[in-house]
Amino acid sequence: MNILRRELKANRRSLIIWSSILALLSLLMMALYPSFSDSPDKTTELLSLFPEEFLKAFGADKLNMGEPIGWFALETYFMIILFGSMFAAIIGSSMLSKEEDEKTIEFLLAKPVTRNHVVTGKLLALLICLVVFNAVVGIVTFIGFEAFAGDYSRMELLRLIAAPFLAHLCYAGIGFLLSLFLTRRKSTYSVSIGIVLMTYFLGVIADLSEKVEFLRYLSPFYYMDASDIVSDGRINPLYTLILLGVSALAVGATYFLYNRRDITI
Amino acid sequence: MYAIETKSLTKYYGKSRGIVDADLTVKEGEIFGFIGPNGAGKSTMIRTLLNFIFPTGGSAKVLGMDVIKETKEIKKQVGYLPGEVDYYDDMSCGELLRYSERFYNKDCTENINELAELFELDLKKKIHTLSLGNKKKVAIIQALLHSPKLLILDEPTGGLDPLMQMRFFSRLQEENKKGTTIFFSSHILSEVQKLCHRVAIIREGRILKVENMEDLRNNQFRKVRINFTGEVPDLNIQGIINSHQENHTLHLFFKGDVNELVKSLGCHQLDGLWIEEPTLEEVFMHYYEKEEYR
Repeated sequence: MNILRRELKANRRSLIIWSSILALLSLLMMALYPSFSDSPDKTTELLSLFPEEFLKAFGADKLNMGEPIGWFALETYFMIILFGSMFAAIIGSSMLSKEEDEKTIEFLLAKPVTRNHVVTGKLLALLICLVVFNAVVGIVTFIGFEAFAGDYSRMELLRLIAAPFLAHLCYAGIGFLLSLFLTRRKSTYSVSIGIVLMTYFLGVIADLSEKVEFLRYLSPFYYMDASDIVSDGRINPLYTLILLGVSALAVGATYFLYNRRDITI
Repeated sequence: MYAIETKSLTKYYGKSRGIVDADLTVKEGEIFGFIGPNGAGKSTMIRTLLNFIFPTGGSAKVLGMDVIKETKEIKKQVGYLPGEVDYYDDMSCGELLRYSERFYNKDCTENINELAELFELDLKKKIHTLSLGNKKKVAIIQALLHSPKLLILDEPTGGLDPLMQMRFFSRLQEENKKGTTIFFSSHILSEVQKLCHRVAIIREGRILKVENMEDLRNNQFRKVRINFTGEVPDLNIQGIINSHQENHTLHLFFKGDVNELVKSLGCHQLDGLWIEEPTLEEVFMHYYEKEEYR
């Protein structure tokens, strides 16, 4: 638990920064909602400027921006899921690699710990960071809805708050595994942001063109698409399982590989 | 039981050599030096003993326990001083030592304070502001604070000033008197000479020789350079192992009575005379290679 405590402390600052920025963004977007919902014509006018495929790619065809949930799903949700995933991938991938990059791993492994202890401590810290991040953003979003949205379904909101967490878990798991191969901290940052953006745009491209539709299955964002969640009235359990499965596999592989790894710095 | 026991321990990193067929035994209570030039495999040996890396062949035991399976138990009783010291930037020295202490589940406050005082280390300072030497002190304290049974030190004195080095060595001797086994690597012969009971000499991944310090001391090698005013004369002295000359200068590798050498040089006109302790590398080149051919 010593390692867990240490990691929570070390990641405290970036957790505070990321969660407060996104929480504030979410609150701000909800504060803007009343002025838009007052003039729905303007919104429709604005949307008609974009090509149809483009709107489809962002799910605007299925959502109504004149309603609070639709507004949130279109304006805020993608930021929470996208930036949250970046945050998850970044801290996930730096957890193990920073010890090797900063050459502190020899200190740590010379203490009476097994490699499993090290991985578990860091994994728990990662999980707690993500829970806190999502809780902060979720609670502030809820406050925003209570203050500005007027009439809305709390159940629908809860689904849209829970869904990004599943994607975050998936990216954190992938980042965690990646950190075994990227032991330079600088490269972990760029690679994790790169992977998140790449998979995000893969999903967008798949929506834009039917020829490459299959690509969407490579994008975790597709599985937690806001417009699907709103129109289906549920988070797809199979998709949930896929994301959690990928995450669990990545974590399992990390345990397996880390126990056999030569630590040379 | 041996403090350290390896049996044909071998480590290859892919195709590149780490150590080959290393058989090594360190008795409990010994101060054991592990010397060799850079890249000989010293750190590989230490990292294998601490299970940072996995051996490709052979086996190793530390304090009677298997280095892979029982690494956690081993580390409760081992203190390790890494060759390259680097710590968490955001911590102060005190915080790092506390962090270290918590892994052992015992109160080491007294030890920490005493060691910090001995090495004149300010525990409140942030680690990233420290000089290399001061970082080394932090590393020394974290290796000693839990009173380990075995100390493994990788190039322990780099960065320490002579005063601190002296305090460190006398502290090591005190620990040793209390029963602590000390295993340390170095490429500096003089460092080893001061402290060790026995030394192992490693070269290109192989352990060439294990010697008592007594015996090694009797093998007093000297590197001699003589500038003659005139032509270089023929010197006929016992103990010249190797010599070559350029212009008026004669280079000797000498293992014998220095007095004899100086006496016989007395009959010649000299411009200059240098007698130095050879580096370990040179001892290897002139002595151990020959030994192998014999």
